Amino acid sequence: MTTVHLFNTNHEIYWGLLIAVYFYYTGMSAGSFILTSLGTVFGIEKYKKVSKVGVLMAIVLLLFAPLHLLFDLEQPSRALNLFLHVNPSSAMSWGVYLLVLYPICLLIYAWYMFRQDFVNNMNGSGFKAGLYRFLLFGKTDMSAAAKENDKKKSKFFGTLGVPLALAVHGYTGFILGNVQARAIWHTPLMPIIFLMSAMVSGTGLFIIVLLLVEKFKFGKVSDDIKSLIPDIANLMKWFIVIDGALMIIYFIVLWYSSEAGYAAAYYLLHGDAWSFLGLENGLGMLLPLLILLSKKARQSIPAVVVASVLTIIGVLAMRINLVIGGQELPLTGSKMLEYVVSGHDLTIVIGLAVATTVVLSFLYAVLPMNRPGAQVKLTSQATKGVAQ
Amino acid sequence: MGKRYAMVIDLRKCVGCHACQVACKSENNVPLGVFRNWVDELETGKFPTVSRQRLPRLCNHCKNPSCLNVCPVKATYQLEDGTVLIDYDRCIGCKYCIAACPYDARFINPVRKTAEKCTYCHERLEAGLQPACVNTCISGARVFGDLNDPTSEVFKLVATQPVNVSKPETNNRPQTYYIGADDKALRPNLLNIVGGEK
Ligand code: SF4
Ligand code: SF4
Repeated sequence: MTTVHLFNTNHEIYWGLLIAVYFYYTGMSAGSFILTSLGTVFGIEKYKKVSKVGVLMAIVLLLFAPLHLLFDLEQPSRALNLFLHVNPSSAMSWGVYLLVLYPICLLIYAWYMFRQDFVNNMNGSGFKAGLYRFLLFGKTDMSAAAKENDKKKSKFFGTLGVPLALAVHGYTGFILGNVQARAIWHTPLMPIIFLMSAMVSGTGLFIIVLLLVEKFKFGKVSDDIKSLIPDIANLMKWFIVIDGALMIIYFIVLWYSSEAGYAAAYYLLHGDAWSFLGLENGLGMLLPLLILLSKKARQSIPAVVVASVLTIIGVLAMRINLVIGGQELPLTGSKMLEYVVSGHDLTIVIGLAVATTVVLSFLYAVLPMNRPGAQVKLTSQATKGVAQ
Repeated sequence: MGKRYAMVIDLRKCVGCHACQVACKSENNVPLGVFRNWVDELETGKFPTVSRQRLPRLCNHCKNPSCLNVCPVKATYQLEDGTVLIDYDRCIGCKYCIAACPYDARFINPVRKTAEKCTYCHERLEAGLQPACVNTCISGARVFGDLNDPTSEVFKLVATQPVNVSKPETNNRPQTYYIGADDKALRPNLLNIVGGEK
């Protein structure tokens, strides 16, 4: 039976690119943090050398993520209301606290991780030494007890950071999953799907950032990192497998659910096919999986980089397909809703991406990134690549 | 028992004149391009068995409003009488409520920059008047009143007429009761829109 609307009232898609990209950033923050906390928290020795790169990336991504939300608010000057009025039934209200606690926890964790390096490099008159002295807040004790304390505290805050990272990204899954009006969002799998795809994209971005930091900070990718990459790539392979399995489960159940659910699944396969099948699952999931299945490819840095880039694109497509695609199906009326990204939103997304990169590069440039296994003295020569 | 406001819309009487839509706009000063109350016109079926329908829509002032549940700052609230309102001074414009309402009842007021929707003309009710759309309806298709009062017109209509609501499967328990509405008209015909109709 057909229904033809002769007179339709237009409705808009209100949650656009900014929201999708916000989910994307928190995801990569949580993903990269969990991956690199394997060393400090779970005691997997070889990951210790990359914890510093990971934690800085997690912090900066998470500081910039909520700015997308702030710019999306119609009344940004009232953002404080989020703290003044709590609504326990709103996932967004939970998130406000997580978005504060998580970076604070990470900052403390990072401080304990960097403290001894600050002390080692604080003598001098340069900008960096001054910065380190400032960041130490007078805590320059280098006794064995103090070092032990650093270890204990970083382990404590790192461990606390793991559930917080899971929550800070898991809650975004609840934001969509709790909306029973839209079949495409309303699934208990949503938080887990978000977490798994966050692990995938977080790992992907981390690999690229790690290689860049190595290259610019130390001049070349040293052997111990080279031998770690296949390991991380192997983990990424498993993350993709789990993420893919979840997507398949999600899709099958959606297909056999209500009429709205079936229509949504049908739309993903047909109307939205190039982006859902092509970008998100083909290019962004299947192709990197195929690459990473080969042991040889996992040992080749270019192959791993290609796979990483693909996952980063794929997960971005996934966030956009879910957030925006989920609103294209009408709730009333008889027309698909159309989304056109506004110049305002696009400018903000690009601006914030540039700002994130600049801040992150700055931090990598000025902070002591030496690590167990490659104690590089902070000489002007070693850092000149990124310092300018 | 306190009051529980509800609206009954008798589609057998509605002629599709859009007077309610206009009255709402002028009463509530609703900016161009957005509507608190609107009338869809649709045709169901295939020639020669077609039927023409009009469907006035507004916020359902749900018993369990998803808009209220998701609002992160409690700017959306519900009165004892069931009316769901928005505190325009508190709303931060996050638009979560718009995404969560199953009925497209909400929008961003482009002038005030907050979420907005039908209030049952709250100020008019306080002054002892009927909502503007009810007041203006040329055929008496819209009836508004207290569902908890057995002598009220809405109570009698809901008790004696076959009524249905839009998307009863949601847990919202919407309080706009339609008489003579085709369930097919009360929801988008998604299979028709995306394809996939067998
Ligand atoms: S119809 Fe929508 S806006 Fe109105 S009360 Fe129900 S959920 Fe809220
Ligand atoms: S837009 Fe306003 S009323 Fe709606 S959920 Fe956000 S703060 Fe609440």
